[in-house]
Amino acid sequence: MSVADTPGRVRDWLIAGSPVLLALALGVFPLVTLFVESIGPGLGGENYAEVLSPLYRGALLYSIGVGVGVTAVCLAVAYPITYWIAHRCPDRYRLVALVAVTLPLWLNYVVLNYAWVWILARGGVVNRILVGSGVLDSSLDLLYNNVSMGIGFVYIYLPYVVLTMYVSMERLDYRLITAARDLGASDYRVFLDIVLPRTLPGAAAATLIVYARIAGAFATPEILGSPGNIMIARLVVQAFRQYTNYGFAAALSFVFLLLVLGSLALGALSPRVRRELRQW
Amino acid sequence: MHALAVDGLHKSFDGDPAVDDISLTVPQGEFFSLIGPSGCGKTTTLRMLAGLLTPDAGRVMLNGEDVTDRPARERETNTVFQDLVLFPHMTVAENVGYGLARSGVTDPERGQRVDDALALVKLAGFGDRDPADLSGGQRQRVALARALVNDPTVLLLDEPLASLDRTLRDEMQAEFRRIQRDSDTTFLYVTHDQESAMSMSDTVAVMRDGRIVNAGPPRQLYTDPQTQFVASFLGDATLLDGEVTRHAGPDVVVKTDAGPLRADADAASYAVGDTVTVAVRPEAVTLGGGGLTGTVVDIAYKGFYEEAAVDCNGTELVVRRERNTAATPENATSADGGTGVPFRVGETVTLGVDRAILVENERR
Repeated sequence: MSVADTPGRVRDWLIAGSPVLLALALGVFPLVTLFVESIGPGLGGENYAEVLSPLYRGALLYSIGVGVGVTAVCLAVAYPITYWIAHRCPDRYRLVALVAVTLPLWLNYVVLNYAWVWILARGGVVNRILVGSGVLDSSLDLLYNNVSMGIGFVYIYLPYVVLTMYVSMERLDYRLITAARDLGASDYRVFLDIVLPRTLPGAAAATLIVYARIAGAFATPEILGSPGNIMIARLVVQAFRQYTNYGFAAALSFVFLLLVLGSLALGALSPRVRRELRQW
Repeated sequence: MHALAVDGLHKSFDGDPAVDDISLTVPQGEFFSLIGPSGCGKTTTLRMLAGLLTPDAGRVMLNGEDVTDRPARERETNTVFQDLVLFPHMTVAENVGYGLARSGVTDPERGQRVDDALALVKLAGFGDRDPADLSGGQRQRVALARALVNDPTVLLLDEPLASLDRTLRDEMQAEFRRIQRDSDTTFLYVTHDQESAMSMSDTVAVMRDGRIVNAGPPRQLYTDPQTQFVASFLGDATLLDGEVTRHAGPDVVVKTDAGPLRADADAASYAVGDTVTVAVRPEAVTLGGGGLTGTVVDIAYKGFYEEAAVDCNGTELVVRRERNTAATPENATSADGGTGVPFRVGETVTLGVDRAILVENERR
């Protein structure tokens, strides 16, 4: 009897195989259904043709743009924060600092958005302070524009970026920074030559996690964004709910998925990023 | 003018002095070693010389210029770190050329100087490799080239050989010495390994508890150490306390538990009746003859020689004897102390001491 036939081996395969199968089914099956729906009825491409009309094209590009911009801001904010926590913060405050930064993760997503409505509204905290202290005569319109939406996005997604970046930043060997300084590197060169390349995997991972979710977000643009700037999620929801045009909604989702994958691939084309990603 | 001059350097951590009034001068082109046990403050001193740590007091001068308040990147010093810390995401050539690039040396010249530096450390043609693909010794050479290529006023080396095995360490020591001579660079080498420091250096300074206790050429420190700590840190030595019983000219006779020992009195003067400490090196102890008698309590085979610890009235002296390779316990026919016959534990031997060294005892 060969080793592979022993009952233990079969059980091992079942134990390892079933979750893998489950993961594959959960990941791939809905996508396949969605795709089949998008090309129907009757294998026509009309759903896709409509997606590429100027109205929807604009919303797609705007969503991608918001995704890129907010991700960039999150990374720019997360770099100094994680550098400080990993290399400057005294050991005993490190956990406290990490928890403080990632606190929003434990609150409901919609509640987080409404917290900013509260803060930025005409009668909100910021306006009351500004008017009350005499800086302003009357309240400002701080809500329902790209800035308020951007603040909400950064607030909600920053914890994910910080946690992912922190792992990379902690693994950054501080002695490399010392060596670079000894060889004459300024702070700017230290960041460019040592910190950035050594933490690029973390930045790439953070981008993978948050970028698509920001570009496809529904609640934040609805609650904090300008009603005139339509992001893709609202169009998909409308197609599903109001027009019950499932095929079109599915096609829209698929084109969006391709755009997200395409833009990520574009980022991976940079030789520097590729060199760092090879380490994975 | 000295390549490096340090005057009254102090550094405390949380009130504990790590470096306590260090002053030293290193002439251009010298191989200077700072040695001492772990925690003696030698690495702290090196970090202050590199500009990676700010001293509490004191001055650091490079080529006569006060650089005490300049950070590392504005100093004409470069460091070979203990763990080398080569940049893992850069090629060997990029590593070596990094300092040149930061000081604005552009490419035809930079490439040439990188090639020259790699040739100097015998790594010509390795420029395109990744540091991870190199052996331990090769990485040492890259780290050395990366610092050396910038032509620093002083090259600082922080125990770079500590992680190597013995064979490779011996080889790299010879290489460091050759490269130091060929490049005519001033080296300041920090280590706890007295053997490597002695074999490479022009000058050795022994540190203890944040201070330099003795400095000079290795030979002088070995043959005439000032204190009992230096005597036992540099090589093997038995330390004995005793009383001066005779003092005639340069000769002093010290009565110790093991018996009377003759020592050279240096500049310091001693009076009969003084309590002193003497150090006895194993090579000063001869077998047979002499006035001391003792019992062999321990033997150690060391290859071409054999070492015996001999108990003389409660004090252990170490004696060495070259081994005749033809003699083995089996064919030895006499045990009278003649050459080639192994020591035996329990054997009674007579010893002579050519010369003991009078040392200060800092424990008193």
